[in-house]
This record gives sequence, structure tokens and C-alpha cells, in this order.
Amino acid sequence: MKEWYDAIKEAQSVEKLEEIRISVFGKKGVLAAEFAKMKSAVNEEKAQLAKELNTHKAALTDELTQRKVVLQTLELEANMKAEAIDVSLYRAKCQSGGLHPVMETMDRIIEYFVAMNFAVKTGNMLEDDFNNFEALNLPKYHPARDMQDTFYFKDEMLLRTHTSPVQIRTMMANKPPIRMIAPGAVFRRDYDLTHTPMFHQVEGLLVDEEGKVSFANLKFILEDFLKYMFGDVEVRFRPSFFPFTEPSAEVDISCVFCKGDGCRVCSKTGWLEVLGCGIVDPNVFDAVGYKNVSGYAFGLGVERFAMLIHHIGDLRSLFEGDIKLLEQFQ
Amino acid sequence: MIVTRSWLSEWIDLSGITTDDLVKTLNSIGLEVDRVHKYEIPAKIIFGRVLDCEKHPDADKLNVCKVDIGTSVRQIVCGASNVRTGLDVVVATIGAVMPSGLVIKPVKLRGVESEGMICSASEIGLEDCQSGIIELDKSVGSYELGQELCTNPTFNDDLIEIELTANRGDCLSIRGIARDLSAALGRDLKERNTEDSNDDRRIGIGRILSLTHEKDLHVNLRYKAVDLENLSLPFVVKLRLAQIEEKRETDIESLMLYATHSSGVILRAYDYSFFCDKEETMAKVELSEDENGYAIIGSKEKASTIGIIQEDDSKVKYDKGTVLIEASYIPPDIISKQMFVNKIPSGPMYYRTSRGSEPELNQGLDFCLNVLEENSESSIYGGTIEISDSYDEKVVSVTKKEIDAIIGATIEKAKITKILKNLGFNTSKSQADTFVITVPRFRHDIVNKQDIIEEIVRMIGIDNIPSKPFVFTEANRFEDDYFLFKKKRFFRHKAASCGFFESVHFVFDEKKVLNGFGFETTQEDLELLNPIVNTLDTLRPTLITGLLKAASQNKKNGYASVRLFEVGSVFSPLREESLKMGLLFSGDKEQESLLNGGKPSLIDFGTFVQKVADVIGDFELQEYETKHSLSHPYQSAQILIAGEVAGELFRLHPNVEESYDLEATYICELDFTKIPFTLKKAKSYSKYQASFRDLSVIIPREMRFSQLQAVIDALENEELIRYYPVDRYTDASLGENISLSIRFVLQSQEKTLQEEDITSTMDAILEAFKTNLGVGLR
Repeated sequence: MKEWYDAIKEAQSVEKLEEIRISVFGKKGVLAAEFAKMKSAVNEEKAQLAKELNTHKAALTDELTQRKVVLQTLELEANMKAEAIDVSLYRAKCQSGGLHPVMETMDRIIEYFVAMNFAVKTGNMLEDDFNNFEALNLPKYHPARDMQDTFYFKDEMLLRTHTSPVQIRTMMANKPPIRMIAPGAVFRRDYDLTHTPMFHQVEGLLVDEEGKVSFANLKFILEDFLKYMFGDVEVRFRPSFFPFTEPSAEVDISCVFCKGDGCRVCSKTGWLEVLGCGIVDPNVFDAVGYKNVSGYAFGLGVERFAMLIHHIGDLRSLFEGDIKLLEQFQ
Repeated sequence: MIVTRSWLSEWIDLSGITTDDLVKTLNSIGLEVDRVHKYEIPAKIIFGRVLDCEKHPDADKLNVCKVDIGTSVRQIVCGASNVRTGLDVVVATIGAVMPSGLVIKPVKLRGVESEGMICSASEIGLEDCQSGIIELDKSVGSYELGQELCTNPTFNDDLIEIELTANRGDCLSIRGIARDLSAALGRDLKERNTEDSNDDRRIGIGRILSLTHEKDLHVNLRYKAVDLENLSLPFVVKLRLAQIEEKRETDIESLMLYATHSSGVILRAYDYSFFCDKEETMAKVELSEDENGYAIIGSKEKASTIGIIQEDDSKVKYDKGTVLIEASYIPPDIISKQMFVNKIPSGPMYYRTSRGSEPELNQGLDFCLNVLEENSESSIYGGTIEISDSYDEKVVSVTKKEIDAIIGATIEKAKITKILKNLGFNTSKSQADTFVITVPRFRHDIVNKQDIIEEIVRMIGIDNIPSKPFVFTEANRFEDDYFLFKKKRFFRHKAASCGFFESVHFVFDEKKVLNGFGFETTQEDLELLNPIVNTLDTLRPTLITGLLKAASQNKKNGYASVRLFEVGSVFSPLREESLKMGLLFSGDKEQESLLNGGKPSLIDFGTFVQKVADVIGDFELQEYETKHSLSHPYQSAQILIAGEVAGELFRLHPNVEESYDLEATYICELDFTKIPFTLKKAKSYSKYQASFRDLSVIIPREMRFSQLQAVIDALENEELIRYYPVDRYTDASLGENISLSIRFVLQSQEKTLQEEDITSTMDAILEAFKTNLGVGLR
């Protein structure tokens, strides 16, 4: 019998093992032949033989089972090895598209003000002189109109130069209190390295009872907003002039590139101008027929925010649908 | 507005204040500093005097000078044509490193020793204000020979460029800026002595000039007359005019400009003879109103329009002879209204006059005549001839409570009074807690309470106001516009996650190109009046052309697969604005990779339709001929969502693909409002197994799937829950027919369908095909 033990141990495949099993346990197998010999044996010898054979039977079965497990494991291992993959061939490169950095920045801005309980208001890009200028304390002969070179149509309509007409229309259609932002595209007749004829703004307006809204309130929300947008920056208010607000201020943040040390982007000043704001001029409230109210207003350019936040160098590239830029925002 | 430290110092004491602090102060009071330039004259550049000047023996254009440099006399060879004996000059001595990097060493020029260099303005880093070498004079202040230039305030100077806001006409002069600074710094303005002590001894102007006017006009005018003789502009004036980047033809014109920039008063010089009639010895100046505004008339010809422009014929041509100097003031609102109503072409003075020039005419006139008298041998006529308009003082009342409420902080009364006083406001009529404020005439911008509060805010500094949260009444502010924003955001995110890049294009486009493709653009009488370039001369009626241009550019940049989308406004011929969503897929279906052997196939109709559906949800297509000529005539469709037309989807016409240098390109444009964005409702679904059966029917090539669809749908079999085409097969044996395989999904709400149920449904479908369309199984 010994040679069968050896044969099992040396079997190199599940198939070979099966052949051995049949040779040993099959009807015409070795064990069957041995058991047949028992017929000619006598009592004690017979019992002795039977015991021996049964021991062999059990031992061989064990051997077979064990060897089978070993061989199956080896075989699976070999199969899996054959399936080996060079994982380094497969670099995970995102193939999805992406959102435009300006639109995404606009979304973030809107998100902030919605969380601060501002309503979102939109309006038409085509406007008339009253809503875009006159009602905003910019009479026709006002020199401040030079600040905003305007696209006109043959019938004296114009493309809005800011989203402020949305605020005028909202005030005309609603009673105070008002708490709103107006995001959207605006237009100025300017086209060079740092100006495009179309860009995006978000403007905000808050109107409440007279004596209730102060410059201190305006400071609070803008400081908080700028920290939400830009992270840990310093915020500085500088007095300025806008026809529709008074007192007016321009708001600077410490330069996000040089942290205030002075670099090319901030023209060595350490500060970046990012916002205009102020207390609403009484002439604006007169134009919309509001009495005994006070309010603040602010406005910002979304492209400028996007460029500063994402370190985008070229304004015009934002309007070219250039995948070289866009794929960086997957 | 450009100022320099030394120039400002003529009006206000800036000692002990660094330029950095000055810049900080200017910024904090609302005079935004745009640029600071520090002049840094290198060491070893000193004051010298030319003691002797002789021609170089071997060079025509060179001079050999003996120059006193304080400690010694050096021989210096100089090539400038204006070098001469007795001139005080700037000398770069041995060892000086010039701004250009040149190091001054002893040299031999054509055999003559030269120990140093006599410098021009640009050689030492100043503006080019004088041809040849600098000719120093007493205008640079006192100096000793040998002293380094960098220790003299005229040369050791800083230039500050301020971006003025449109309301601050009062700061369009050095004196104006100094006046605002004086309030911020609490230092007095240096007022000049305007009394002319010699006035009595002079010949009166009345002997040579008379002024007439037909009616009272809103203008102040004041004239002086001068017999001009040997005017030579001092070095500092030349330098400062170069610093403010201004230049005039004649010295007298330059002087007028210098005095205007210094004082803010509008000054003009006229040729006296322009106002003289041939027979008469007395000049007549006539003020009248014409179609351009207020005109100054001399001997029947117009000399100027006040505050706007001067006629060339009335200008002083030579720096000699009798000259009239006019100071003028018109309230800015009057002049800007005149400009607007009469459409007058703007002149060089208009920028100042429309923002408000200095009303105190003596400030400018006296300043100007002082400089003139000091730097020429002219004689000035005594007295002035003038017209003054009446002026009502502006008075504004504001209470302390109102001030505190708008600022949001309590400001002490004494502090308010002090700020107002420093700014030149008179508060003497104030009572208790009400400030009654008389506004100085030069502050054209101050008309109401908030203007006054702005002044207070400016001076206390906004950074010194503590921030305070606003307390408000809760309100639900979700309105239609907000939901539109949310919807846009949702579909933009979906498009991005389906592989499309968001692009943003101008709402302007090129009319010619659009019309060429058959798009209707803005109606002619409603068209843009002043487009910025002719390739952006109309409002876009579609997003397609913008996407197409971007795709073409990206292809040129080496992108084989271009996927773009935009959500944006387009305009009808009547300029009605509507929101569209456009998607474009061009070139390779996917990126080159191991999966496609580096040879991805091109985008096809079916894949594009699937991509669009992944973004916007289910839709159906219907054959359609687009109104424009961008589409492939046999691969264009109308998009139906829930039976309603929502947009179009097509392959680009092969010719257009070629002209934009694009591979297969598919485009879809949707009316954004038609894309459904509602909350979903769940339907009940079957718990039983679904069965699948395929039918391959032979149909004529021109038969549409939609025809089969109509027949199947008419059966209204509730157990048939879905069906879709899975194979389309043609071969020669089929001739003009094709084989179309359709997969049917059958499922019941009540039971597992048995074979006979399924067979009966399939038979019914086949029967319907046969009777309605005459088609059957293969």
C-alpha cells in the first residue's frame, strides 16, 4: 500500500489525484482487490486483515482530502497569478466635466447670503435709463456716469451696468423690509487685459425702519462674508464714493498671495480691493417712494473673487471655454 | 491726481510724517492711493557750478568745463548744448553709480581728462523735463556747492498718484489735497499772503480793458493784465509739469497749468490783441451765452467757452506782449448740464470744471502772478476786472442721534464739531443736539445729512467703527428666483458629472455670422448702438455658436474630445431674454486609454442622446428640420419632454464641421424652463418576475420606429411595461428592407406571467403590426 501513499503525496494536479482515487477506491481498485482477498482468510486472520484494510482506507481518504485541498489552493493561486494586473497602468484620471470657476464662486456667494436669510432676486439684462441710472442718483449729466461706460441700443434701452436695477425693481414691487441679493451678468464697454465687456456681480441690499440700519451692521456682515470666502484675511474699509450710497466705502482684504507683504498682484500695497458698499443714499429711497427707512447696500465682481480664490491670472480666459483652464476644476 | 511731497509741503507742513504714513492717511480719508514712486538720487551726485566753459580742441560738440564742486574744482567734459559759464549744475562725481548702472570713473575724452559728468534729468532718474543738462535755479531751494542732491527736499521727493472719486472736485489740486490732509492731520493749511503790496503803484487794468455782459450768468470771472517780458520757467515748475505728465506749447500756458494744478482755480491766458479793435486802444471782453454755454467774445470773434475750451486764435503765441489772465468758476452742475444738453465736445478743462473747480479765484490768480513776477521781467497792471454771481450759502442740519444711528456707534459731540471745523464747515449756529452746518463753497458734493455723516466717518476712520450684527425679523425668503438658481445649480452639477465642462460666453455675438447660419438676430431698429468690436455686434439668439467657437479652439489646443455646456441667456429679435442650456460633444467618445487601444471611436448619435438624457432626464426625439443651417439634415431632431417641445438635438453639418475644423460634433440646445425639476412621486411596482422577449420584424427601410411605437402603444397592454430597439440588421437578401429587433419587457402586478400569457401578448403585437403596417417576422 505504501506506494499509494507516496503517489498521493506526489500527485501534482487535481486530475492526477482523481485518477489515484479511482485506482485505490474504485470498484476495480486496489482496496476492493484487497478486501476480496479476505474471502479466503480465516477468522482471526480475517479480522486482523479487515482492521488493517480499514485503517488504510481511512488514512488514504485523509491523505487524498488533504492533498486535494493543497492542490486546489495551488491551482487557484496559479489561476489568480495568471490574472495579475499591472495596477500602475491604471491611473485614476477623473473623466467627469467641471463647473466654471466663476459660476461656482457665484454659487458659494449666494449660498452664504441665503444662509444669512437674504432672498435671491434676478432681473433682465436689458434695462432702461431710469432703473439703471436715474433711480440710483445718477442723473444724465452726472460725471460719475463716466465710471460706467454703457452699451446702448438704438431705442435708448441699455445693457445693465450693474445689478442695482434689480434692487430698484424689487423695492418698487415690495414694501420694506427688504433683504436681498441680486446676482447676474453685467456689461461695460471696456475690453482689455483687465476688463471684459461682460462680467458678473452680486449686489446686496437691506432696507428696514429709519434709524435701524447702520454702517456698523454693514461692517459686520461684510467682514464675516469675506472671511467665509477667503479664509483668514484681514479686512480694511476705506471711505470712497458711489452715487447710490453715502457714506460709501471700498473694502480691501490683505493680499491672498503675499499675506500683506506686498507683491505684483497687490501692486506692492499688501491689500486687494474686493468690494464696494455703503449706506443707501436718501435720493435712492426717494426715487422708489420709500419713506422713513434706512438701509445698506454692497456689490462685488464675481470674476475678481474667482481669480483671487483660484489664482487665475488671465481674466479673458474665463470667457473662452478653454478646457486647459476648466479641467482644473473637475 | 498726482502730488509730490515737496509740492504738498508748499501748502501744509509734513515734517515728521513719513510717506508711508501719508499714504495710510490719504487712504483712510477716502483719497485712494494708486501708486507711490520714491525718487532715489544716488550718492555722490552733487550740486556744482560751471566756472569756465571752453570748446574742446578736438571735438565740435564737446565743451571742457571747470566745475566747482565745493571741495575742489574739477575738469569735466560735457556734450550738452546748454552748458555755459556761471550755470549751477548737477554733477555725478567719481564713484557715483547712476540709476542706469553706469559707474563714474575718470576718463579721457578725445584726449582731454574728465573727472565726472554733468547730468540731465533723466540721467539721475527724474522725469525728462528739460533738454540737455539740468539748469539749477533758486526754485530748488537753498543748497551749497558739493552738497549731495539726495539731501535736498526737491530731489529727495516722493510722488503719490491718487485715484479721485467723481465727487471730490475740491481735491483736484495740490492745495485741495493739502486742505483735506490738514483736517485729517490736525495741521493748519499754509495760506499765502494774497495782498499785492505794489498794487497802488501799478497802472490800473481799467485803462486797457473793459468787460461787458448782456445778462446775469452763473459764472465768476476775474481778469488781470500783464506786459509779459523774459519769462523763464524755473526748474521746479518744469520738473513738476513733467511729473504730472503735462506739456504745453508756450511757457505762459505751462505756467497757467502749473497754477491750476497747484491751486485748483481754472486759469487761462489770452492774447490781449485778440480783444482789440483796430481803431480802438481799449480791449473789450464780452461775456455772452451761446449754443455751447458761456462764451468769451473778443472783437466779434469767440475767444473761448468758459470752463471747457479755448479757441486757438485767442491763445498767447509768444511769451511776450500784453496778456490777459482769466480766472473762472462755474458751478459744476451747471456746466455738466450744459455739456449734456448741448452735446458739446469736451475740452481739457472739463474734467476739473464738471467735478467742481476752486471758487476762490484769488487763490489761483495770485499764485500764478507771484510765480510770473518772480521769474520774469513782466509788469503787472493794478487791480482786477471781475464779475461775480450771487451765491446762497448751503446749510445742512443733522442731529447727533441721526449721526449715531447711521454710523452705528456713539460719537462724541466735541469730536464731531472738531472734525467739521477742520474740514472748513461752519457750525456756529448749532443748538443743543442739532448741528446746523454751513458748507464751504468748494465742497460741491455736500448737500444732505448723509453727506455730512460721510465726512465724519471719513475722518474718524471706518476701521474705528465697531462691527455689529443686524437684528432682523425672520422671514421665508425662498422665492421663484431662488428656485431657478437651485434648478440651474442642479443641472449644471449633473452636466459636469456626466463629463461636460461648463463654459461662459459673452451674450454678444457676430451678426453677420449668425445671419449667415440662418439665425434671426435683434431687429435693426432695436440693435446695439455702440458695440465694442464688430465681432460682438449683436445679442446672441443661441448658445450654439459660442460653444462651437470654443470647441474649435480646444481642438486646435490638442483636445481630441471636447465636451462643453453652458446655461445662459439668449435674446429674440425683439430682445426678449430667455434661459437656455446648450450641450456640445465633439470628437472622441472617450479618452484614449488601454480600454480602447488608444483609438477611441468618435461620438455618435446614440451615445450623445444617452449623455444628454443622463443630464436632463427622459425625453423622446422626433424628426425635425432646424431653422438654422448648422445641422446635418438627416441627423437632427426635436426634443420632446412629456410630449412638449423642449429643444433640438443634431449633428453638425459636415461642411460646418469642416469649416470649424472639427470631427463628428453633436449639439443640443434646450429651453431651460422646459426641463422638468419637480419632486418625484413613487409608483407602485410589481413584486413578480419580469419576462423578456425579442421580436425581429422585417420593415421597409424608410419606416420609422415611431410608427411601430404608435401601433404598440395603441394596444394599451398593461403587462407590457417597457420595450426598446436592440438591433438593426441589413443584408443583401433583405433588399430594401431591414430587420429590426425589439425587446419587450412583460410584467404583471398580480402574478408571475405564464408562457401562454406572454405568447398571447406577443401574438397580439404581431397581429397589430400586420394589420396596421403590413410587416411581420423575419
